[in-house]
Amino acid sequence: MVFWTSLLIVHGLLAVALLGAITHQAVALWWPVRAASGSFVARFRAVPSTSYVWAIIVLYAVTFVMGAWVYTHYRYMSRLALEQLRFLKTVGLFEVKEHLATIGLIVLPAYWAFWRRPLSADYAEARKQVTLFLAVVVWANFLIGHIVNNARGFGS
Amino acid sequence: MIATNRAAMFTITFTVGYAVIYAICTEFNLPLLTYHPVTGEVDFLSKPPRSGPAMYWYGWLLTALIGATILALVATVTPERWMQRGITFGVLAAVGYLIVYSVALFIYDKATIELEFLKSRWLSAMTAIVVAAAVSLFTPTSWNERVWPGWVWVVPIGAMAVLGYYLTPYFTR
Repeated sequence: MVFWTSLLIVHGLLAVALLGAITHQAVALWWPVRAASGSFVARFRAVPSTSYVWAIIVLYAVTFVMGAWVYTHYRYMSRLALEQLRFLKTVGLFEVKEHLATIGLIVLPAYWAFWRRPLSADYAEARKQVTLFLAVVVWANFLIGHIVNNARGFGS
Repeated sequence: MIATNRAAMFTITFTVGYAVIYAICTEFNLPLLTYHPVTGEVDFLSKPPRSGPAMYWYGWLLTALIGATILALVATVTPERWMQRGITFGVLAAVGYLIVYSVALFIYDKATIELEFLKSRWLSAMTAIVVAAAVSLFTPTSWNERVWPGWVWVVPIGAMAVLGYYLTPYFTR
């Protein structure tokens, strides 16, 4: 049990790092800073988007693999308990998370292609769209993961 | 916003193909393998549960991976305008099928006489395919010169909508 809990915590920590990276990139891309400013928000928006690309790809892939690993334990332990307790919405939410994670993963090759250096002006709009799409997927999965994990409480 | 190279063609087609094949695999349960988490055993193709639940998700991922990779490789040797037409046709056919079949079922429910043929999925599918073929064939040439990169998020959203629809029993029971 300690092993699976540790794996779940590492999965969660990686998800936090991914969430930070993709949010930084999406905000910098959609709401760029026009003039220099010392405020926290301005500095948050002023990051160089390109430097996040490989971090996001690697973090997504590693988080996905760890999630897919934890999933085996969820399937024959937690899910059976949730079904017996008739927590069907929670089970359904996890199914949504499973599909969303897959959808995010399969967008990564195109995300990489659009962000390949030198950045192509032809893909400027595509870069913005696919980054926002990926950010929405990561946020949704992060929130669903929290809700599902809290259904029965830590260690219950 | 235009695609200009083979890497982009490969990745766009891979994403689009994967999303569609994955949705089909989950609907018709077409895994390349089945994993039994309690015993740690792996079976080829779809097998029923034994000694605990069976997991098909990994198998769906692999089936879709193989299908999407083949499609993406084909895309790299296909003229870009035909890929764009092909994806447009596929999207129109899928959306058309949903609309036609929904309207057919609505009419069937409201009709005062028995219209059994309206329940046929094949009739709706054929109607959608014919309409999609006609529309995609007559779209302006300028629309089909390049593969539109926006398919990368439009098609996965459509696939997610279909997958979400099939999960509604979890939220309505």
